[in-house]
Amino acid sequence: MSEERQLRIVLRNAGLIDPDSIDEYIAHDGYSALERVISEMSPDDVIEEIKKSELRGRGGAGFPTGKKWEFTAKADSDQKYIICNADEGEPGTFKDRGIMEGDPHSVLEGMMIAGYATGTNKGYIYIRGEYALSIKRLQKAIDDAREYGFLGEHILGSGFAFDVEIRRGAGSYICGEETALMESIEGKRGEPRKKPPYPPTCGLWGKPTVINNVETLANIAPIVINGADWFKGIGVEGSRGTKVFNLMGDINWKGVVEIPFGTPLSDIVMNMGKGIRGGRKLKAVVLGGVSGSLITSEELDTPVDFNSLARIEAGPGSGSIVVLDETRCIVDIARDIAYFFRHESCGKCTPCRVGTEEMYRIIDRISKGEGEERDINTLESLGKSMMLTSFCGLGQTAPNVILQSLRKFRDEWLTHIREKKCPVNV
Amino acid sequence: MVNIKIDGKEYQVPRGTTILKACEAASIDIPTLCYLEGISEEGSCGVCVVEVKGARTLQRSCITKVREGMEIFTNTPAVREARKVNLELILAHHPLDCMTCDKDGDCSLQDLAYRFGIKKSIFLDEEEAFEEQKETSWDTNPFIQFDPQKCILCRRCVDACENQAIVEAIGIAHRGHKSEVSTPFNLPLEETDCQFCGECVQACPTGALIEKPRMGKGKHFQLESTDTVCAYCGVGCNIKLYKDKSNMLVMARGIENPLVNNGKTCVKGRFGYEYVNSEDRLTTPLIREEGKLREASWEEAVLYTAKRLKEIKEKYGSDAIGVLGSSRCTNEDNYVVQKFARAVLGTNNVDNCARLCHSSTVTGLGKALGAGAATNSLDDIKDADVMFVIGSNMTETHPVISQIVKKHQKYDGAKIIVCDPRRTDIAKSADLFLQHSPGTDVALLNGIMNVIIHKDLIDRKFIDEHTEGFEEFKKVVEKYDLDTVSRLTGVDKTLIERAAEIYGKAKNAMIFYTMGITQHTTGTDNVLSVANLALITGNLGREGTGINPLRGQANVQGACDLGALPNVFPGYQKVVDPDVRAKFEKAWGVNLPEKVGIPVSEFGEKALKNEIKAIYIMGENPLMTEPDLRRVREGFEKLEFLAVQDIFLSETAELADVVFPASAAYEKDGTFTNTERRVQLLRPARERPKNAKYDWKIVCEVSKAMGYQMHYRNSAEIMDEIAELTPSYAGIHHNRLEKQGLQWPCPADDHPGTKFLHKDGHFKRPSGRGLISPVEYKPAKELPDAEYPFFLTTGRILYHYHSGNESRRVKVLDEFVPKNYAEINPEDANELGIKDGDMVRVSTRRGSIEVKSRISERPKKGVIFISFHFKEAAVNILTNPVLDPIAKIPEYKVCACKIQKIKKEEKV
Amino acid sequence: MKRSGFIEELHECQEKEEKNYLSKKNIMEAAQHHQVPPARAYGVATFYTMFSVQPRGKHIIRICRNLSCHLAGAEEIVKKLRETLGIDFGQTTEDGEFTLEESSCLGMCSLSPAMMIDDVPYGNLTPAKIPEILEQIRRRENRNE
Ligand SMILES: Cc1cc2nc3c(=O)[nH]c(=O)nc-3n(C[C@H](O)[C@H](O)[C@H](O)COP(=O)(O)O)c2cc1C
Ligand code: SF4
Ligand code: FES
Repeated sequence: MSEERQLRIVLRNAGLIDPDSIDEYIAHDGYSALERVISEMSPDDVIEEIKKSELRGRGGAGFPTGKKWEFTAKADSDQKYIICNADEGEPGTFKDRGIMEGDPHSVLEGMMIAGYATGTNKGYIYIRGEYALSIKRLQKAIDDAREYGFLGEHILGSGFAFDVEIRRGAGSYICGEETALMESIEGKRGEPRKKPPYPPTCGLWGKPTVINNVETLANIAPIVINGADWFKGIGVEGSRGTKVFNLMGDINWKGVVEIPFGTPLSDIVMNMGKGIRGGRKLKAVVLGGVSGSLITSEELDTPVDFNSLARIEAGPGSGSIVVLDETRCIVDIARDIAYFFRHESCGKCTPCRVGTEEMYRIIDRISKGEGEERDINTLESLGKSMMLTSFCGLGQTAPNVILQSLRKFRDEWLTHIREKKCPVNV
Repeated sequence: MVNIKIDGKEYQVPRGTTILKACEAASIDIPTLCYLEGISEEGSCGVCVVEVKGARTLQRSCITKVREGMEIFTNTPAVREARKVNLELILAHHPLDCMTCDKDGDCSLQDLAYRFGIKKSIFLDEEEAFEEQKETSWDTNPFIQFDPQKCILCRRCVDACENQAIVEAIGIAHRGHKSEVSTPFNLPLEETDCQFCGECVQACPTGALIEKPRMGKGKHFQLESTDTVCAYCGVGCNIKLYKDKSNMLVMARGIENPLVNNGKTCVKGRFGYEYVNSEDRLTTPLIREEGKLREASWEEAVLYTAKRLKEIKEKYGSDAIGVLGSSRCTNEDNYVVQKFARAVLGTNNVDNCARLCHSSTVTGLGKALGAGAATNSLDDIKDADVMFVIGSNMTETHPVISQIVKKHQKYDGAKIIVCDPRRTDIAKSADLFLQHSPGTDVALLNGIMNVIIHKDLIDRKFIDEHTEGFEEFKKVVEKYDLDTVSRLTGVDKTLIERAAEIYGKAKNAMIFYTMGITQHTTGTDNVLSVANLALITGNLGREGTGINPLRGQANVQGACDLGALPNVFPGYQKVVDPDVRAKFEKAWGVNLPEKVGIPVSEFGEKALKNEIKAIYIMGENPLMTEPDLRRVREGFEKLEFLAVQDIFLSETAELADVVFPASAAYEKDGTFTNTERRVQLLRPARERPKNAKYDWKIVCEVSKAMGYQMHYRNSAEIMDEIAELTPSYAGIHHNRLEKQGLQWPCPADDHPGTKFLHKDGHFKRPSGRGLISPVEYKPAKELPDAEYPFFLTTGRILYHYHSGNESRRVKVLDEFVPKNYAEINPEDANELGIKDGDMVRVSTRRGSIEVKSRISERPKKGVIFISFHFKEAAVNILTNPVLDPIAKIPEYKVCACKIQKIKKEEKV
Repeated sequence: MKRSGFIEELHECQEKEEKNYLSKKNIMEAAQHHQVPPARAYGVATFYTMFSVQPRGKHIIRICRNLSCHLAGAEEIVKKLRETLGIDFGQTTEDGEFTLEESSCLGMCSLSPAMMIDDVPYGNLTPAKIPEILEQIRRRENRNE
């Protein structure tokens, strides 16, 4: 792995310290950011600092974190909440797991600072139920932090009180969507709510709620310690700091990388990933998860940051990079993706509930050589309609990769239909 | 106001308006499917989408609110295509069997498919959609069918169950493409909390949920509908009835009158119309000859009746005749029948079955407040902070009111306090439940008021300015300390205290009661005590407050209002008042009797003593509903003449000398007055049987034959006469009732009616003040002892009504609950060795009946409950005929009984 | 009406239940406890894939078929699992040991193809490894007994 191209902020401690040891975390500057905000900064100062850092959410949508906190800080309510979104369910993504298992205290510290800044004393970490080890590590971290006085009443002798509880998911991708997640914490089916109102003013149990991704929160302490200016010096305009990516698929090296925003995708795939497996040619990259985008080899030099990627209708998304080599069949990939969404649609709204099912059915038909040419049009019109009218992000993004593949690999689709066979023989 | 642009044109709409409403106001049509205003606003279907400038996605107009400067486009290509695709998706799994579907012509999905020109969805999977109907394991009941294939998962049914019925018997199970509407664990509906109100059916836009009884009886466009009022309980739900080509009623729907039921009905409103179609309907007059009833012509029957009544009047005097009006007949019917009693027969012996349910309300509230009716309105419930329910099993007796009450609790956080010897459904929903022993209401209420006084939660100002009698009352209440009351009632002290606090501290508290309060020898006392509670806390004369007796039968309020009572003319004008009498004498052109008549509860006894010789009954069935039935029957058997007009040969009609075939409420034109004093218009939903007549018409004919002409061409003319003579109805005419009816008092033609009584603490008593009365607790007349160790209490159940003459002729209702049963507490059952379903004999000093047992947590230990709807096991054989001394209401709610398991040998 | 912890309680009920599922009794009791109407409780229990309202085996095998595992040959693993266990998705082996379920991405993409048996992740699977893994679990169990 090309270590030199990486910059470890979020993963500063991962692999270096014993994640079960709060002492080691403290020895590596842990909780010094918390001490600093409590003793030196007003809540407004903290929010100003985060705003100034231009940190954007790492959960996918990239919303400015400082702004989010500000909404909740300003909301007038007897009770507010901080939620850490650790439901990481996007296929091909495991960066949050890495952070939680490698450095659980960094997430807690971020939550505490968020609590301090917004005037909140209660936090929840919503972790997917399948992440048994993450749950264990975080619970240990919470218990230790409580014992050390970082959680509870009068934190570090101040008037600030904050506590955190874990809530386990129970097998549902949609619960990563922030409002569905809140429904789930409230003990309901994980069905998204209508927005507005947005969580910062009306979230969990109707109360103002900040919800942040694990990686977002892990960025907080370093920003407090090193200052917003330091953070702004990393990355590029519109995308500051680093981003953690998971590399996998048909490459020689699979794993986790943390790179400054603006690093070209080709650099990540070809250098950090050590090139395509077996010396084959690259066909495409599924970037940002199966709800993300499909990048062709022509587009591979695009710098990885919000603005540059937006120009090719893509985004960093969940931070997953799945590399496909020339032997992969695009219809087969599309079918697998469609299968996933059909399984994970919550079923609330028609475009997604029936749309994901029909999308899978049509693609399945094509993959079996039973497709017709008009199926392509149907898929396109269905996909467009799902993107425009689905109730939440799941249905709106489910067709992304599939529609892009129809545009970018149309011939391959047509071959399946016309010649009733797969050009790469899958 | 917010400035917006729709399709390029500028509009101003109120803040908070949805795009859909804004478009509606601008006459721009937007298709919707899953949206049901106020009930289902989830935005699931995606058919109503519009384009909003600057938005990444299309917006659901039904749930998206307008913003300042919003630019909306309702008809762009993207919008049209998206709507169509979503419809095609919905139609992907929906069978195209409109030709054989009962909902054909009344289906939102069909309408939209037509509008978008979708013959067959591009996604249609024919194999799946035309496959045999999928099984649903939960629709085994006789009322509701669910066809999962026709279900489009719009969730309107689930939301209706949740937001209208406040039941949540159904929900969405599984997820994604496997989602389905389901009961918990797919249990049959009857094993869930379902009340079969059918809100879900009414909410369903397709044929997925449908009323079983209507299936195969015609499509919507083949049926003719009429707006009328439900003929069952006193809520007065506005309903639409549908008849088929052969004059049969086949379907009912709730009408959205927001002041009353707002589209809701209960199981009886929705499914209970069928009795009018019954083969058992009387279609010809009958005359008794040689002990048997034979068919007769109208002329013969009328003349014969007139002759017999005249003879008896001449021989024994006018007061040897009794007349019974009916709380199931219209105001106009009752007006005419009491006029007949007074003006033609010359007696005030006229009554109606309100005697048996709410006469103590009339006497008690009359005494305390100056008016014996509910003080407030259903629409007021939304303004109450606390709803105090005592002696009211409202979920079964007034289901729609209980829905309103529960909704107000659920969505607005209002509190419910329930006092009842049985753990009824509403008790289960209560924030606080006090389970007192039968007949201890006064003790309980005094205990609560004792705490209210001690904690200084009384309304001093109201007491000083608007009431009298407080000091004397206080002395009595002083004796009811918590220990005493807890001992008398069996209720925990802390519960009494908390009830006092919650009620006492409420800004607005509303009291509801039903027959648990009234049907006692202390009925009047109970009502006075309830009135005390409201008076000392100043909970009267405002919205969301007051005392609200829930009236039992559809027109029990009206029958009383119109003077089918022995002491008053219409509008509670006293017969002993010479001025009043003079007014009626002038109007009716006769001399009128001045002596107060006798109540129906004494008819039987007086007949036994030969003091009553003839009875004329309009649409009542005393031989099922009077207490100690056997004795009443003996009395009736001694009568020289009994005439009954009814729609069926009831238990009472079977004994009559003349029977007239009448028309049912659903065939009538006229008015009912509901429990909140709202006079509402009935419209005939079907033709009456050829030879049957309106009740008022029959009375008029007998009257004419007796030499007194009543010239009414229709019921509207009767109402005009009522208005002329009755100050509280003075402004009420049929042509003013079209939309929402009018609540009396309505003293003038331009008066809007009265939403609540006693405004600003002005009471209609001579002093203008409300009367606080000292009321002592008196135990019921017959209490459990060694020989009869249990309390017997009686009442109604959800699925039946009155003596069962109607509801038991509704196939689905009778199929669902075909037999009477006795509810027995598990502890008692255990001690007696009785298992659920065992046959038991329940006996009192007056007789015994055999019923099935139902082991239930509902009755308190030591209490047996039996309903009075079943003639095969008529509980009134057992009840105690002792009366409240003022109201003359029998003590149906308490007597002593014993219960024995019937051994197998005994059965054969 | 606070609902916090309803799902947590379902988790706990299911963990206690020998057959790894939520019985009607479990759900009804939890529902009552949290004041959730039964229909809604059932809706919740059937929404989440980790819950089951049918009895299951002692061990739940969750295999991922999403993109990364798919590319790494998850289908082969699925085939092998079906063969070895003699059951399909959603079914339980006759001896009541294993239930086979498909899962969404388990976050083990760098070790794909991957599966989880109960709480234990297994990565870099090959069809050949499957019988061995299952056998190991059976053996461990016998030893414990
Ligand atoms: C279908 C769907 C799934 C999502 N899953 C996740 C997830 O697993 N983890 C996450 O952090 N955010 C997820 N999100 C994004 C969240 O809704 C939300 O934007 C995020 O938690 C905000 O945190 P951030 O501002 O720190 O990025 C998902 C969104 C959608 C629409
Ligand atoms: S888009 Fe899909 S996941 Fe989102 S609400 Fe609709 S059905 Fe549920
Ligand atoms: S009517 Fe608006 S989403 Fe269904």
